[in-house]
Amino acid sequence: MSAGPRRAGLSTPALIGVVFGAAIMVAPLIWTLLLSFKSNADLMRDSATAFSGPYTLENYGAILQGSQVFRWLLNSAIVSLGTTAGVLVLCSLAGYGFARLDFPFRRTLFVFVLLGLAIPEQAVILPRHQLFAELHLHNSYPGLILPGLVAPFGVFFMTQYFRAIPRELDEAALLDGASRFRLFWKVLLPLTIPAQATLGVFTFLGSWNDYWWPLISATRSDRFTLTVGLASSQMNYAQTSGLGFLMAQAVFASIPILIVYIVFQKQIVRAMAGAAIR
Amino acid sequence: MASLELHDIRKAYGDTLVLDGVSLTMEPCEFVAFLGPSGSGKSTLLRIIAGLETPDSGEILLEGRRIDQLAPGERDVAMVFQHYALYPHMSVRENMSFGLRNARVAKDEIAARVAQAARVLEIEEQLDKKPGQLSGGQRQRVAIGRAIVKQPKLFLLDEPLSNLDAALRLRTRVEIAQLRQRVDAALIMVTHDQAEAMTLADRIVVMNDRRIQQVGPPMEIYARPANSFVARFVGSPAMTLASAVLIPSDGGFARVRLGDGAEVETRVTEDGLPADAPLHLGLRPENVAVTAPDAGTTKAKVELVERLGDRTLIYARLADGLEVTAQDEGDSRVRLGDEIGLRIDGAAAHLFGPDGSGHHAEPAA
Amino acid sequence: MRTGSRWRRFEGFAFVGPFLLLYIFILIYPLILGIGISFNRADLFGARQWVGTENYARLLADPVFHQSVVNSLKLVLLIVPALTIITLALALALNRPTKTAAVFRGIFFSSSVLSVTIVTLIWRFVLTPDAGLIAKVMQALGRDPIPFLSDPNLTIPALAITTIWWSIGLPMMLFLAGLQQIPGDIYEAASLDKASRWTTFRRITLPSIRRTLILVVMLQTAAQLQLFGQAQLLTAGGPSGTSRPIVLYIYEVAFGRWELGYAAAAAELLFLIVLAVTLIQYWTVTRREPER
Repeated sequence: MSAGPRRAGLSTPALIGVVFGAAIMVAPLIWTLLLSFKSNADLMRDSATAFSGPYTLENYGAILQGSQVFRWLLNSAIVSLGTTAGVLVLCSLAGYGFARLDFPFRRTLFVFVLLGLAIPEQAVILPRHQLFAELHLHNSYPGLILPGLVAPFGVFFMTQYFRAIPRELDEAALLDGASRFRLFWKVLLPLTIPAQATLGVFTFLGSWNDYWWPLISATRSDRFTLTVGLASSQMNYAQTSGLGFLMAQAVFASIPILIVYIVFQKQIVRAMAGAAIR
Repeated sequence: MASLELHDIRKAYGDTLVLDGVSLTMEPCEFVAFLGPSGSGKSTLLRIIAGLETPDSGEILLEGRRIDQLAPGERDVAMVFQHYALYPHMSVRENMSFGLRNARVAKDEIAARVAQAARVLEIEEQLDKKPGQLSGGQRQRVAIGRAIVKQPKLFLLDEPLSNLDAALRLRTRVEIAQLRQRVDAALIMVTHDQAEAMTLADRIVVMNDRRIQQVGPPMEIYARPANSFVARFVGSPAMTLASAVLIPSDGGFARVRLGDGAEVETRVTEDGLPADAPLHLGLRPENVAVTAPDAGTTKAKVELVERLGDRTLIYARLADGLEVTAQDEGDSRVRLGDEIGLRIDGAAAHLFGPDGSGHHAEPAA
Repeated sequence: MRTGSRWRRFEGFAFVGPFLLLYIFILIYPLILGIGISFNRADLFGARQWVGTENYARLLADPVFHQSVVNSLKLVLLIVPALTIITLALALALNRPTKTAAVFRGIFFSSSVLSVTIVTLIWRFVLTPDAGLIAKVMQALGRDPIPFLSDPNLTIPALAITTIWWSIGLPMMLFLAGLQQIPGDIYEAASLDKASRWTTFRRITLPSIRRTLILVVMLQTAAQLQLFGQAQLLTAGGPSGTSRPIVLYIYEVAFGRWELGYAAAAAELLFLIVLAVTLIQYWTVTRREPER
């Protein structure tokens, strides 16, 4: 870490600002947490009762007892893990190909892939919806996973990483009689594990939090991902659930991602910085 | 049967010619050094032999079998890389077995070979460690071990001593010499250090400017350099080349006059030398002795004195500005700025024609 | 192992092939399809009819579309400058190796890993005038609640606040990375030159992170022009479209009115707007200063 100007500690206004900011960051989260521990009846009268009075686990009980949240959680897990695995495989293979193998149009194809970084979701999402409708891919796991596999950033990232490995290793392996694939699999791939971790976590996060595509592709409520399911809950709030239950769902939905965040903090931070500096 | 044969290897990168029709024949179990400055093409040649680059034209035969169209792993050739190129995530044992496993050698055979190589190279204790845990010297031995277990017909060593400190360099020179004794294969070493080439190789292939300049045993390269490039590249400090013109002499041997008027009688046969052409007289420091100012072939002023303990190197300048390197006793009393005499041993002198080609003294009968 | 050099040249295709096939099929093909659809009158069920540039003409004359473009621009103007300043200030304040700073950085970053639905769920019940957190606080202070989600003048600011809260993480990270690349001795030289904090900031820090600053602004502008989830879930674009950004408009046209061609045209226009804004920003910046 390079030294900022005069590291003698923050000036008082700055300190106040940071603490105040942190409080604003945290307040909504605490509010949500408090609400989730109150009975719906109490909250219907006055939500300010969240600050006091009897707390209960009944909302969480309701979730565990068979709200669709578990189903949504499962869907999210399958889709995100599937997407992550797929991206790692495809982008590693492609990254190796672009970085180490020489084939016709290699440079053109690489630029072609990079251009994909500039294409916003909106330009593609509607026609893709049509396409998948014709292929009967909606409301299915492949329908949710396949779009996530198209990750130009992943290819770029892995290509750069492979490029950084000294070529001498390739040459030694070739002289050791390894085929190109064996060279990839046994020699180079194991050396990319840090990159895999970073790309993997980044992909997982993106897939888990993805909203628009799962919204329009998975329309049956038992096919919702957690993110989409939570949106549908919000919209149904007026009719049914109850504030406490809704907030419990929000807390519940946050847990997996916060766990991932805490465990993989380093990778996430590194990935997001890397992603934007393409 | 020859071990390695190169026939007219040619290689260019785009418009840049890197190798211009290189040919060579090696004896079985011969140790050859490719010696030359950077850019001479020696590394490219090595990589072409290994199969890491393809020549634009030419053939390579190893023990009679044509290998230039084969993949690197199929050529029966092993290479020790300049920076070792050990697989960082594999243990030493796995590093050494990788090639054999790719060749589908039987497991117990692999184990036996690895164990033996490890014993010979004294790295048995390191077999289960990863390269990152080893010292530089150990890593190099692993790299050598990896090559040995493959029992190749040809070993390629890429600048094995270049990035080593002095102590390690000595140790490694011994390793390489021992390697040579142990294996039943030919060896090729690429280096830019003429001392390495001189001490280790049976024959040296001097390369410069994309071509082979000379091939021969070290002493021949030293004593009878084919041209002025070889003459100055081999031998340290470098041979002095002084402009000279032929003057009439009797006796059939060439007699030349230097720029400052001094005359030197050589033992180089006169015929064969171009008449009326500017020549260069080649003098190694050991052929130029220091005398009293009027007692030598010519006079010079000392510009630099290097005391090496067993001898002293004197860098002096002649009256016409030519710089000459002379050699004196270890306890020489010559100092900077002194006017000295130089006694040139003409019998040991070489003459180089305008095209650089070397003409040498007839060996004493 | 077949290693005939004739086929070796094409080995690479086996490695990049799988990705490329998916890429073409799921990204490029729809992209081209989309352009095609935008020239059609089409519904979601496959009926197509070529209408040339009619969709575009209608869009350019459509006041609802205009409103959505204006809304998107308002959002950008509210969010990007504030977000940039706040995250820069945070990065400056938290760019130190202490444990406390690390904890604070973690807090500020945590909101950005949550999905848009979680965030809107949380903020709905912060902003909503009856049960919301802010409303309760206002009540405790003896004042009336603020109708963030129903007052047409307040819905866009509400979206902006929510978005800023959500988006702190990435720009702050980028600024931190940029600040860390400034060599420490520059600051030491400045302090020897008796520079005040403000001068140091203005003359040394700011120019050094110029590139990061530009990056953050460009990225956030492009991102917020494409804001969707918060608008759909918090305000449903209302009341009467006063907080409907372009992407929500596209969504409603496509999945509300089933007018796929029209929506596709709007999507292409959005693409152009984002491209244009990005390029304008890029050119303005690179022209003002000669290449370093």
